[in-house]
Amino acid sequence: MSALAGVAGPSVWRAARHIPVSLLIVTGLLVLLIVIGFAASPRFGTVNNFLNIFQQSAALGFVSLGQTIVVLTAGIDLSVGTMISLTSNFTSGWINDDPNMVIPVVAGVIALGAAIGVVNGALSHYLRVHPLIVTLGMAAILQGSTLLYSLAPVGKVPDGFENFAYGRLFGLSYGGLAMLALFALAGVFLHRTRTGAAIYAVGGDPRSARLLGVSVARTMMIAYGISGACAALAGVYLVSRMGSGDPWRGDGFDLASITPVVVGGTALSGGRGGPLGTLLGVFLISLLANILNFLDVSTFYQWIVQGLIIIVAVAIHVDKGRRT
Amino acid sequence: MIVEAKRISKAFPGVRSLDGVDFFVAAGEVQALLGENGAGKSTLIKIIAGAYAPDAGELRFDGKDVKWSSPHEAQAAGIHVIYQELALFPEMTVAQNIFVNREPRNGLRMIDARAMRARGAALLEQLGAAIDVNEKVKRLSVADCQMVEIARALNSDAKLIVFDEPTAVLGGHEVELLFAIVRRLKQRGVAIVFISHRLDEVFEIADRATVLKDGKLVGSAPIGNLDRDKLVSMMIGRNLADIYPAKAEAGEIGKTVVEARDVVVGTRVKGVSFEAREGEVLGVAGMVGAGRTELAHAVFGSLPLDSGSIRLAGQATDKPSPARSIAGGLGFLTEDRKGEGLFMLLDLAANITAPVLDTVGPSIRLDRSAEKDIARKQIQKYAIAAPGPEASVVTLSGGNQQKVLLGRWVVSARTALILDEPTRGVDVGAKVEIYRIIRQLARQGLAIVMISSELPEIVGLCDRVIVLCEGRKAGELAGPEITENAVLQLAVARSDEASGRRTA
Repeated sequence: MSALAGVAGPSVWRAARHIPVSLLIVTGLLVLLIVIGFAASPRFGTVNNFLNIFQQSAALGFVSLGQTIVVLTAGIDLSVGTMISLTSNFTSGWINDDPNMVIPVVAGVIALGAAIGVVNGALSHYLRVHPLIVTLGMAAILQGSTLLYSLAPVGKVPDGFENFAYGRLFGLSYGGLAMLALFALAGVFLHRTRTGAAIYAVGGDPRSARLLGVSVARTMMIAYGISGACAALAGVYLVSRMGSGDPWRGDGFDLASITPVVVGGTALSGGRGGPLGTLLGVFLISLLANILNFLDVSTFYQWIVQGLIIIVAVAIHVDKGRRT
Repeated sequence: MIVEAKRISKAFPGVRSLDGVDFFVAAGEVQALLGENGAGKSTLIKIIAGAYAPDAGELRFDGKDVKWSSPHEAQAAGIHVIYQELALFPEMTVAQNIFVNREPRNGLRMIDARAMRARGAALLEQLGAAIDVNEKVKRLSVADCQMVEIARALNSDAKLIVFDEPTAVLGGHEVELLFAIVRRLKQRGVAIVFISHRLDEVFEIADRATVLKDGKLVGSAPIGNLDRDKLVSMMIGRNLADIYPAKAEAGEIGKTVVEARDVVVGTRVKGVSFEAREGEVLGVAGMVGAGRTELAHAVFGSLPLDSGSIRLAGQATDKPSPARSIAGGLGFLTEDRKGEGLFMLLDLAANITAPVLDTVGPSIRLDRSAEKDIARKQIQKYAIAAPGPEASVVTLSGGNQQKVLLGRWVVSARTALILDEPTRGVDVGAKVEIYRIIRQLARQGLAIVMISSELPEIVGLCDRVIVLCEGRKAGELAGPEITENAVLQLAVARSDEASGRRTA
């Protein structure tokens, strides 16, 4: 009966009570950054700049989305960076300026990413090796394969291919829109399907999940498969933006993809958080990079800032109750 | 008969096993399953629930021969076990928890959250539990968490519900509510297996009792044919007098050596004072979560004191640390043997001398032969069943591992020894030896502080008992005042008020 009262009561307030604190924090930080941005440079507050930020967040968005799903299972995927390098190189190398190859290669590369992700999940589950090690090992395998394929940027894509990155609908870039669509899709998947619920269950307590008949193996393979596919998509997107693949394109994306996840309140211990927080985290990081660029801060300082952010974010969200 | 298990056997490399046990449960019956820790209750339950496969024997459920391939299969057939460590997801809502992997779905195979909430609320209402289905489980009391598990069992049409020590974490009022629900389930024809150490509860709720000991069936009888003494002697297989050594006599207890004043640790210990004296065994009783372990860690210095002070052998400090405590002659045998106590990968000798490495050899080099000599003495003194000082600790049984730890601390503890659940998970034989060692150490002049959840052990061994309840000292008992009932009264008295506050 109390539940019925909940449905009939002032639902806005009840809903507000269930908003996680982490989302409020990251929203607050976004607002703060925007205020700082206006103070930092007159060019910051233009519509065009915001549309650019939106466009530039796509790659980070794709890969962080996949990372979110893996982190929800209490895992981590450190092979996303080299996955981007591999897939970007294959995309431009295999398309090689042939318009007819675009669709089969893009589809093939994303399927390859998914398949490698599934292998990550399966290895981690069946060999009982922590995903940190499995994906780190996989990262070395992928980087080696990438360099065996080519030591330098290879191939070329047809002119129209750059539309994915630079094409716009009402001023909004296709890549950014695709990112938003994928985040929405991920939200539906996580909250409205049994597999999505299983991801939270496995991340919350794998032993209990197994007792309740959840297939932990299947759930892990799906989560890492999604992460692999998302990283592959980021690789494809970066080819569109840069015009060609590069065997080192994904460098730095491992850490970069985790930052928005933890900033957005998804717990590294699993089972808590979701894509909305990550999306806000992605905007936060893109905005920060944009402002630092206006302030002429060196990229190296940006790395330092990013390193600090991730440590502070995890420290804030860690459960303070345990300190034995 | 819902459950017919015949001649079930299961062997493990460790201590626990089952040897040809028969077990029957009828529909609409509450069956108490009794036995000491390590008697094989959990193993039997896990076999019935599909978590273990039996080595031998036959299992029939609901009239059919069954061989479970997974717990899930047993659950689909209608067996639901509510383990003491509940299988709940704290970050999920009550409704999500009830329906994990069984979420109601609409025509598009999407989870129907509205139907899920409505059905969850209906299930909880059947149980008479006023719990908001939208609340996250981490915000519920333990009693409410159990309700969520029971609702989950009802949803999957359980024919058999096993409660694994459900009342160990509940206050008196919550126990009554749980029993009301058990009776209601029974009327609906659900078979109940109820594991508990509290015999009063068994007589209140059970129709029949089955007793296991050392993996064998001792007996099974309708509750009307049994009395308390009969059950106790069935469970322990010997007379009480043979288990516990004689308590300290007045002249044996000396001066105070450990004194804790107004100890506060986070939210778990809210200002507890006590003192322990030479030659006595001081019991620390209370519910799980009452703050006993945190108090011990604070005294030893492995958890920081938020306020208060500790006086150890005359030296007062408000910043105790493990190093300082060891130097002051205090030893601490932790609750978690594997996690905090033993170095599982090192050999026996290294484990015994770990806290006193500087006394093993004067130089930087570690004198292994001196180390082995110390270890050999302890092995003999405490009858540790191990091939020698170089034996690997992992291969020892729980009881012997515990004796290794006792042997370790005896080397360094000169003033006092804190023991946290020293007999958890060891068999009765090893328990008796551990009790003897504890008493012997007290006779040698050590102050012993023993945390225990097992009331018989508190009553049988301790000279004095402090009872904690929700982080506060609820009372102190000495000599003949120490009875199971008196300890229990103190341990739950205030948790009743607390649960009243929660539901208000």
